[in-house]
Amino acid sequence: MATEQLMKEIFEAGKAAGFGDMEVYIDNSKSFETMCFEGEITKYALSEEAGLAFRGIYSNGKMGYAYTELMAATAIPQLIENAKSNAEVVETEEEVFIYEPKGEYKQLSLYNPAYEEVTNEQKLDFILEAERHAKSLDERVFRTAYNLFMEGASDVQIRNTKGLDVSQKNNYAVAYFMVMVKDGGDQKTAAKYIMGNDFKVFDPKKLAEQAVEEALGKLGASPVASKAYPIILQNKTAADLIKVFSPNFSAERVQKDLSQLKGKLGETVANPIVTVLDDPHLENGIESRSFDGEGVATKPNALVEEGVLKTFMHNLKTANVDGVEPTGNGVKASFKSSVGIAPSNFYVKPGADSFETMIGRIENGLYITELQGLHSGANPVSGDFSLQANGFLIKNGKIDRGVNQITVAGNFYTLLTDIVNIGDDLKFGLPGGGSVYGAPTLHIRELVVSGE
Amino acid sequence: MLDKRVVEDVILAALSTGADFAEVFVENKYVNNLAMIGGRIEQANAGHDYGVGIRVFNGTNSVYAYTNDSSSENLIKVAKNAAVSIKGVAKDLGISLVKKDHSIIHNIRKFPRDIAKQDKVALLRTGYEAAKNYADTITQVTGYYLDEDQQILIANSEGLWAEDRRVRTRTGFSAVATVNGEMQTGGANIGEHRGFELYDTVNIADYGKEAARIATTMATADLCPSGKMPVVIDNAFGGVIFHEACGHGLEATSVAKGTSVYTGKMGEQIASSVVTAIDDGTIAHAWGSNHIDDEGIPTQKNVLIENGVLKSYLIDRIGGRRMNMAPTGSGRRQSYKYEPTSRMSNTYIAAGDSSQEEIFAKTQYGLYAKTMGGGSVNPATGEFNFAVQEGYMIRDGKIAEPVRGATLIGTGLDVLKKIDMVGDNLAHGQGMCGSLSGSIPTNVGQPMIRVSELTVGGRKGAE
Repeated sequence: MATEQLMKEIFEAGKAAGFGDMEVYIDNSKSFETMCFEGEITKYALSEEAGLAFRGIYSNGKMGYAYTELMAATAIPQLIENAKSNAEVVETEEEVFIYEPKGEYKQLSLYNPAYEEVTNEQKLDFILEAERHAKSLDERVFRTAYNLFMEGASDVQIRNTKGLDVSQKNNYAVAYFMVMVKDGGDQKTAAKYIMGNDFKVFDPKKLAEQAVEEALGKLGASPVASKAYPIILQNKTAADLIKVFSPNFSAERVQKDLSQLKGKLGETVANPIVTVLDDPHLENGIESRSFDGEGVATKPNALVEEGVLKTFMHNLKTANVDGVEPTGNGVKASFKSSVGIAPSNFYVKPGADSFETMIGRIENGLYITELQGLHSGANPVSGDFSLQANGFLIKNGKIDRGVNQITVAGNFYTLLTDIVNIGDDLKFGLPGGGSVYGAPTLHIRELVVSGE
Repeated sequence: MLDKRVVEDVILAALSTGADFAEVFVENKYVNNLAMIGGRIEQANAGHDYGVGIRVFNGTNSVYAYTNDSSSENLIKVAKNAAVSIKGVAKDLGISLVKKDHSIIHNIRKFPRDIAKQDKVALLRTGYEAAKNYADTITQVTGYYLDEDQQILIANSEGLWAEDRRVRTRTGFSAVATVNGEMQTGGANIGEHRGFELYDTVNIADYGKEAARIATTMATADLCPSGKMPVVIDNAFGGVIFHEACGHGLEATSVAKGTSVYTGKMGEQIASSVVTAIDDGTIAHAWGSNHIDDEGIPTQKNVLIENGVLKSYLIDRIGGRRMNMAPTGSGRRQSYKYEPTSRMSNTYIAAGDSSQEEIFAKTQYGLYAKTMGGGSVNPATGEFNFAVQEGYMIRDGKIAEPVRGATLIGTGLDVLKKIDMVGDNLAHGQGMCGSLSGSIPTNVGQPMIRVSELTVGGRKGAE
């Protein structure tokens, strides 16, 4: 059935069931994913899918949500019934909204038609070449643990009964390469990735070289003595850590007493060298967007500016509670999700120091390149973290030897004030749930390390 | 779910370029989610997942495609697209699908779709009240409820036609305690492969209370010291140590590629002789159980380690081809959007002989990890980590002061040899396990165990 007709029938059925303002959110996407191992293609996966989400304000004033993957008129009765029964049990008192469009939507080029010209053979060649090249670099290169190329294209449309009708299309690709090196019984891995929608930046040799170099550096790693050390946190790793604590900037969590940033607007929460941005208009930003999950026009926001907490991230509901303008952070992690709050391209603003300068300042410290167990060993509410780490010992301003089997522990809020230098090398992690996080290399005054 | 003739045509289309195996997976799933914050239902969402996955093998090459347009024309188109990358000549394979029945172990008495939403809300309210009223220090309580009703059909070119219906429900609470500006959390949950009758047998208030008890205890706890020390890990979710330290490393995904530290160790003594570990997908109503796996193979009880000796890996169909071994009923996937891979189901260390009293009495100094958070592992290096939600120091063989913020790390091969006492109180806990084929329900379990030495990561520094 044509989408137009389907949306029309949904709004009619919703109205008949007692809904007032209503919204339909449709995501049409396709993806391709391939992996190789030892010169053989081991994965080749194709998909085309569609999903439809409905929400509307029911006669009791509450928002009812439901979704379906069956894009047919036969799905409508169940969809509306689900939304209605969901609205009936919601108890929150906050006023909810279906967005009445106003203002300008920033025009962004999120879809690169040239990328669609890249053939699947070229992508297969990419991963095969990365593997071949890695093996040619050093005899200790044993195998590739993961060698993946994936791409997706998505077309999101939001239409509501208050005149909103917006859509945006994007495409992106990610190459992820994890190499395994072996020296006697000593096995180590390192992973590197490339992302974007310009195939020209996908260089398989460079990707392999970076991964192999890091993995070889880890061979012979051993723990260090348990005590506090000055820490240089690798850019990508700093981004991973910041991601875990980013929900504390959500107005929803602040309003529900789940963030320790509550009541701190206008206060200094970080070292004055720290500025934290969420920029949905970032050029080549993998999560750039002109409107959010509610159809609100996006804009760049400084959450922390020179150490001072400036704003929280808002959707329509939380902005109304706080009496402020929405910040364009109403996000659906997928069409299945309710509207929550999340950033787009969230990052720590880079400073002026080169990586070498930052390492050069450390007499006896650690360069941390990997943090594991972020989903369990870091608590967003308390801010505490204790995480398995890998990295290198820094002695007299130089990288000395590999370090493994240690943990680094600290607290996010303390860490914000303990960032003493910021590098110039901003790097983003891999996207997920509608957001991506970035950071430059960070010099942390100290963290407690457990090892020998 | 789909007509047999259509499925046969799709399989034939998938085999048209010379593949030696083709499979169709159809999923129809209804889900319900409720979220409560501060005693009010904040979110209620419900949905219908529906789609078809088509998989083609040629030797150890695999192609996977999925769609949620299940018209026969589209399915044949998708099957042909999948087949394109296999360059061969169609073999003369006749298809005759025969329905394979299985006995019903996880019978469902109260289907969640027949239960009024208010009854589900009432569960959250009960748990919320119990947590909120536990102590004045509880400043926030969140709760979630979910149920899912998944119907699947798996048919393949070997003539298999298998269907299953899986109903699961889970409810959990998280409490925040605030003492002198220090916010700490605690959580507890219950989930089973069962209908709403689950809640007839459990007292849901206990889970709210438990979340509040942990949060309150941790809010006044000292920072955990760091360094190497003996660790006593309590039963149930404590089994996450085996799940991370060993379980993932036994999955064909990494064993077959030679990238697991356990590759080539079959029949070898890899753990101390007090360790027997099992992955059992057949336990009635357990969170990680299924009648059949997502490749249509009946689940089974796999003894992975017996008295310290490695006895079995966890093998899916493609892993079996690579390893030249039979699949173990371990092929699982989050949904039709994922190609199945080898995964765990209900994994646990079997009960031993030591009493809890004996374990503490023999541990003069160390950490007692009473409840756990989650963890992760790199199977290629065997390096694993998991978080302690509620910990205590052990001093003079007795449980002493509570400590917070501990993470335990080690390497699989090393820690398996250091498990030197295994208790007699086996229990299981529920988790979601994330890997290549998505996020799936799994149980972890064990009796109380002692590890003679683990690296404890705390913020206090060496004691």
